[in-house]
Amino acid sequence: MLWRIPVLAAALLCLLAGCGQTEPAPVTVFAMDTMMELMPYGPHGEEAGAQAVTRLQELEKLLSVTAEDSDIGRINHSQGTPVAVDGETFALLKAALELGERTGGALDITIYPVIRAWGFTTDSFQVPEEKELEKLLDKVDYQAVQLDGEGQTVTLPAGMELDLGSVAKGYAGDQVIALFREAGVTSAIISLGGNVQTLGARPDGTPWRVAVRDPSGAGLAGVLEVTDRAVVTSGGYERYFEADGERYWHILDPKTGCPARSGVASATVVGESGLVCDGLSTALFILGAEKAEALWRAMGGFDYLLIGEDGSVTITSGIADQFQAAEDGLAVTVVTQ
Amino acid sequence: MRRTRFWVLLLGGTALLAVLGTFWLSRSAGGGTVANVYQDGVLVWSIDLSEVREAEELTIEGPAGGNTVQAEPGRIRVSGAGCPDQICVGQGWLSGGVTPIVCLPNRLVIRLEEGENELDLDGVSG
Amino acid sequence: MKGAKKITVMGLLTAIALTIFMAEAQIPPPVPIPGVKLGLANIVTVYAAFALGPGEACLILLARVLLGSLFSGQLMTLMYSLTGGLFCLAAMLPLRRVVTERQIWVCSAVGAVFHNLGQLAAGILIARTPALAAFLPVLVLSGLLTGLFTGLTAQFLLLFLKEK
Repeated sequence: MLWRIPVLAAALLCLLAGCGQTEPAPVTVFAMDTMMELMPYGPHGEEAGAQAVTRLQELEKLLSVTAEDSDIGRINHSQGTPVAVDGETFALLKAALELGERTGGALDITIYPVIRAWGFTTDSFQVPEEKELEKLLDKVDYQAVQLDGEGQTVTLPAGMELDLGSVAKGYAGDQVIALFREAGVTSAIISLGGNVQTLGARPDGTPWRVAVRDPSGAGLAGVLEVTDRAVVTSGGYERYFEADGERYWHILDPKTGCPARSGVASATVVGESGLVCDGLSTALFILGAEKAEALWRAMGGFDYLLIGEDGSVTITSGIADQFQAAEDGLAVTVVTQ
Repeated sequence: MRRTRFWVLLLGGTALLAVLGTFWLSRSAGGGTVANVYQDGVLVWSIDLSEVREAEELTIEGPAGGNTVQAEPGRIRVSGAGCPDQICVGQGWLSGGVTPIVCLPNRLVIRLEEGENELDLDGVSG
Repeated sequence: MKGAKKITVMGLLTAIALTIFMAEAQIPPPVPIPGVKLGLANIVTVYAAFALGPGEACLILLARVLLGSLFSGQLMTLMYSLTGGLFCLAAMLPLRRVVTERQIWVCSAVGAVFHNLGQLAAGILIARTPALAAFLPVLVLSGLLTGLFTGLTAQFLLLFLKEK
């Protein structure tokens, strides 16, 4: 009967280890102006979570638009002279400008002065006058940002300002996921202010279930099942103010300088890269259903779900089977290649 | 014209039935452990109360100022509401039975139901 | 009662009903069960149904319900009040012919029960939740009790005014 003791001990150890593998090590941190929740599972989770917090704080220092000594702050105060930046900032800027190119300027990281004119940076909301907008729009052009790969310098014409708000959270998410992976975590889900990114599947092997908010109300529009994907949603409901019976939200069309009204109430983008999903969700919201479809065909590498202001749902074929609408009988249009 | 005795018996009988019904409902177990929160008949939150370890809270916007729903191990309640009558808050904790918590102004209903946590969410994008 | 006098009385009754309704809305609900309230304003409805007539009672009720939800800023509750009120009248008006003037409380109690049933039905439809039916017994009971109270009050009032 003595053989039973080591077997029991082994079984107990397995059980404990097993527990370790399925227990999450949740971390909550406030960074980049938003609440971030990290949920790495497994034995390396706790350590990886702590490292991720340090990493996120580093990124915040680098990318903050309000801190004058951040890379972005220094570029914005450069008065047109070249500024040497961190390799990381450089790579992110490059990616963001590329996304700007691919979306035909719908994603424009130089829109910051206009956002400020509307009061979205300070919460003292106002509708700017047309003349003021026209003047500010002269200073909005992502193509005017010059990147020099050799010296890793950025040159921004005087009077213009950069803001990576539309891509920074997605990039940060990618960094956290990469860090988790390196630390040996095989299963994790993180939410950086509503940007959900996943590593692997749930500990039990089933896909993560990520809900998409209903932009018209309080509830949920439906649930997406994803593995190893980022799910990022942009919607007019996130931040807005009302004046004279009209609703003005924070996602501005770089062409008009006004809140984008494309008939889309929320745009959700699903893909491998959080950075791309983050940038594209903003761009698709601005572009509207038709141009979104064209971009999806031309660019590929991502899927999307659009909820129209009329409540209609459009979803691309890649994730159509992974989506369950909250309400039975909801008309869902599937876009196929 | 009926005699008063007829009416007394009729209404008294109904009252007796209603009392019995109330008593029966309050004692009936049923309900299960999964708390489902519906708004306008649509499931917006679902949580298995037998698996709750730490208190969780969710604010659900609604036409009358919305509700804050609080779940604790084994029980759930509306802890705050924007509605004028506050009846949903007054209903207190729900831990069993078939009688739901209701906030009619916000069209919110919390029921305990059998079975799996239908939504079983890991995150919300938006 | 005819012409100007009738309109005056109806307007007066509507004002009284509205005042009672608004006053009751100020006090917290007696028990935390959705749909349970004293419904004191229905003393006027019952009084009007017997003293004036079905059409008049109906008009006073409608005016009170509409103005009440408007004044209290609770347009949300309009659907419930309206459905409840119409159910109540639908039950009370036929019954009015069957009962004596010393059995008004019967009519009122039945009306109140139907009022609550109507509200429950509206709730089930609006919130799309059949589970609300679990409140049926409580609402029947509360309807009987509050209806009895408002009915007796209206009955005393009616007899008292008649003696004068």
